[in-house]
Amino acid sequence: MNRFILVPTRNFSRTNCISKSAYSLVEPVHHLVKIDKNRLSPRFPELNYDKRDIRSPSFKPLHVCQDRVQEHYFNSIQPDLLLMNYNHNPEIKKGLKMREWDGSSPYHINRPLRKPKGSEAQYPDIHPIKWDNIPQIESVVLNCYVKEARDNQLLAISAALQIQQITGCKPQVIYSRSDVPTWKIRKGHQMGAKLELKGYPMSQFLTTLSEIVLPRIREYRGISGKSGNRFGGLSFGLNEEDVKFFPEIDANQDLWPKTFGMHININTTAQTNEQARMLVSAFQLPVQKSQKASIEN
Amino acid sequence: MSIPVIRKPAIRAGLILSRTPIIAPELTKLESQYYAYQSELEKRLMWTFPAYYYFKRGSLASHRFIKAQKWPVSKAPGVWYPRGVPDIRHGRERRLKQEVVLPKEKKDVTESTGSTGGSESVTDLTDASRPIVPNSRITEADKLNDLKSLERQLSRTLYLLVQDKSLGKWIFPSFDVVKDTTEEVKPLHEVAEDGLRSLVGPNINTWTVSGTPASVLKQENDVYEFLIKSHILAGNLELTKKGLEQIGEYAWLTRDEIKEHVETSYFENVEFLLAK
Amino acid sequence: MLSNSTIMNVFRPAIKGPASVSASSFLLTSVRTKRTTAKSSGTTGVSPQVQRVTTQLSVLSARKKQPKMLKLCPEDLIKHQTIENCWIQYQRDVRNRRSKTLEKQFKSIKTAMNTLQEVNPVLFKLASEATTTATEERRFPLEYRIPTDFPPNKDKVWCHNYTSPTTKNN
Repeated sequence: MNRFILVPTRNFSRTNCISKSAYSLVEPVHHLVKIDKNRLSPRFPELNYDKRDIRSPSFKPLHVCQDRVQEHYFNSIQPDLLLMNYNHNPEIKKGLKMREWDGSSPYHINRPLRKPKGSEAQYPDIHPIKWDNIPQIESVVLNCYVKEARDNQLLAISAALQIQQITGCKPQVIYSRSDVPTWKIRKGHQMGAKLELKGYPMSQFLTTLSEIVLPRIREYRGISGKSGNRFGGLSFGLNEEDVKFFPEIDANQDLWPKTFGMHININTTAQTNEQARMLVSAFQLPVQKSQKASIEN
Repeated sequence: MSIPVIRKPAIRAGLILSRTPIIAPELTKLESQYYAYQSELEKRLMWTFPAYYYFKRGSLASHRFIKAQKWPVSKAPGVWYPRGVPDIRHGRERRLKQEVVLPKEKKDVTESTGSTGGSESVTDLTDASRPIVPNSRITEADKLNDLKSLERQLSRTLYLLVQDKSLGKWIFPSFDVVKDTTEEVKPLHEVAEDGLRSLVGPNINTWTVSGTPASVLKQENDVYEFLIKSHILAGNLELTKKGLEQIGEYAWLTRDEIKEHVETSYFENVEFLLAK
Repeated sequence: MLSNSTIMNVFRPAIKGPASVSASSFLLTSVRTKRTTAKSSGTTGVSPQVQRVTTQLSVLSARKKQPKMLKLCPEDLIKHQTIENCWIQYQRDVRNRRSKTLEKQFKSIKTAMNTLQEVNPVLFKLASEATTTATEERRFPLEYRIPTDFPPNKDKVWCHNYTSPTTKNN
């Protein structure tokens, strides 16, 4: 084979493929492209279809009925949000970014960039709201972590079923990720369940929450005005007593001697906390005024 | 203050007062057919209903539930099935959708509701097993075509239009921004809201979307009308004395009806602000 | 048939008696009847809590609950794909129409604000302040309701008897 022919090493200026040193810095493509080898098998051709294809075993019809929340959003909320978020002559607010080294030392060459000022991570830019980036609810994530499941793993199963009953979708099991001796937690134990809702089930869950559950909670003061992860996420919690107000649990009380509280995260495409709170309040969910505003008032 | 500069063009604050829909929009033909198709597919692909979870074994409710079901034809050896060999798991034919029949209420209950006549009579609200009858999507205001009622066209967004007596045209209510003597200037949205209350009485609950105008209409003789968006949340309109003097009529109209009422040029300027 | 108790009575002398009892006599006396111990009678001898969780687990799992897969003939498949394509096209049209309307709305807000700035800077300042400073506390009111599939009962379609707080005070 040609590859193994020795070449005289006198030509220093040439960087021939053959005369290169041990390995290339660029990794070969098969390391970058993930290959699911099961898909290469000719045995189950229907597994290769997309989930949305009717021939796929995991096909599930998505638009089974009218989504009144979504209709309301497009009909009324979206134009209102556009007007409410309008700023005249706005500018793009730069987020924190990695900084260049000043080059005062020769060791600055090829050194990874400096961290942003006062922060560990970079932050995205905040663009002014226009017709194409009006905030919208993307998904709702329910997270039910049962602390007592470390002693009794059966509780985690009940928690999973509770989420399934409330939403009508199949939850995922969550496991403890590490050993924590002080909390008596072992790695790999089933500790609860989580579920990401999108589309019609999400709308259904939001309306159940706003029309049935939250009004029945005593002295409910609304989602905290401080809630928000500064990238458009809002989160709040329901305790085990509040969960009993869901109609699916309420109708079969004898099946639910024990219920489990859960965290509800609402993920939106909003770019700031204020926008996210404003958006969520349009879905009949009470959101408290932020601390800043109440001081001003 | 630059008051002498602002003397020249007159400014008016217009108000687009809307009532958001109370019921979900009507489906188009395509939508309703597609949803019907998809929901049939979903029913076909749904897992079997776990009745054993909801009805405790051996209980009365369980017996009633089992009795109410239509069980599929079971498979027997040596029988020819023209519609395919049955494949039954947990009492469900796996090739078809499962139809769960809810057991009917006790006979005396259904008889009593049937005798009272249903539609107009008020059924006993404490009775949890009363049949669910949805209210009609068409209200009485629709039947009478009462343009002044807020209960008409529940599935559409309605907008308040008034008939200006001086012009004799249908327009969105608009008000002059008074800008003399007082050094304190009222923002546009307050002018519009206060103006509205002076015409139709104070007993309305409205929510101004924003202080920012949604649009500007330039009229002849250098008059600028800035349109402010607002929603009515509760209350009724009762024309005050001033209202009776200034406007002859008011009406709650959908987008299509506005097109018929107002001038074409006026409609073209506001068309995109109105919801379908 | 012997009941369980009779078996016990038969056994007892055999256990207590001398070790010379033959295997054959033992076999003769042992007759299997219906179990009456905790292990029997439908439930599998577990506590009711565990039994409940077992049922819950079976509700969660797909076992014995999944229907047969859809097997469409080529004609049906083409029909289905046509329907799906039609729906996708329809959705795209709706989306485009919506985004065009929003674009018009945005541009109209912008021209309105530009005009206001030219015509009356004082009102412009008030109008832009109304959005910028108050943005943080702007909330939609709770009465801004999501439409329902069917209207509420007759007297609750619209709240007619609203009185404004200012008139109440007066």
